Amino acid sequence: MTLIEFAELLYDSELGTSLRESIYAYPIVEGIHLIGLAFSVGLLFFVDLRLLGLFLPNISVSALLHPLRPLILGSFAVTMVTGILLFVASASKIILLDVFFYKLIFIVLAGVNALWFELKWGKHVDHWEFEKLLPKSVQYAGGISLFLWSLVLISGRLIPYLNYK
Amino acid sequence: MSVLELFKDIQTSELSRFVGGQNHLFGAIFQLIHIVGLILILSPVTLVSLRLAGLSGLREQSLVDIAQSTAKFIWVGLGLLVFSGIFIFIPAATNYYPNFAFWAKFLFLAIALIVHVTLYKKLTSIESPHLLAARFTAGLVMFLWLAVAFSARFIGFV
Repeated sequence: MTLIEFAELLYDSELGTSLRESIYAYPIVEGIHLIGLAFSVGLLFFVDLRLLGLFLPNISVSALLHPLRPLILGSFAVTMVTGILLFVASASKIILLDVFFYKLIFIVLAGVNALWFELKWGKHVDHWEFEKLLPKSVQYAGGISLFLWSLVLISGRLIPYLNYK
Repeated sequence: MSVLELFKDIQTSELSRFVGGQNHLFGAIFQLIHIVGLILILSPVTLVSLRLAGLSGLREQSLVDIAQSTAKFIWVGLGLLVFSGIFIFIPAATNYYPNFAFWAKFLFLAIALIVHVTLYKKLTSIESPHLLAARFTAGLVMFLWLAVAFSARFIGFV
């Protein structure tokens, strides 16, 4: 089965059809996708700015990261689930868009960046977090995360525009 | 002049016709700026609300510091929203007139801004406000801003 055939299968599925045809379901799912973004990318935004030293430099990184981490991860899951639903609802159209694949690539790269940060720096956060100016690669990780998630938002927002063409 | 007439005048203005005559990606740019603006408001409001509600871990941090260092994001975000919103609105002003989600959005926005400059501003200027009042404010501002975002999302669907 090709990717396009798979997308058509999703599109024609009961779930895909009912999401697309319901007056309320689609915008509600989209609204939840947006709220999920505010909590995941929105809160991550401040962690990234902290890593760059641009936000609350007097607060330690873990003091910000620890309480926010479960919220960021939890709402990221919400964003992903609603994102999958939005995809299913118009799969056979979205699968044809380059921008959709760019978005996926940016998400994967952002994920790799976050994983690398967690494994390399997250474990011994107490060694470096109290320095006013954080290690260069920690700052890079924050900057890259900020950049990649912005690209995810931009490419995501472009999907309906290129879709309705 | 009625509001509908005003909207008609706006839509037939030269600027409006210029914006409306552009490629649809031109409109997408304003939509992008619009969503960046929204994220710039929702993120700090979320962070400060979590602090106000007394999220464990965040509670040890200074409320005043967090609120002050995020305030500029909110105003920049609002500026971007107004700027891009005007360009989204004017080419199709009369389409928005009968749209109930459009009016709901501005009602929620007005209330959110009033609460922001009164209750929110007052409570975030003191280090340890009454917990109940703080939680009420946190819940209220989150509800209002999410209602703005949600009703805005509905504009395109009703």
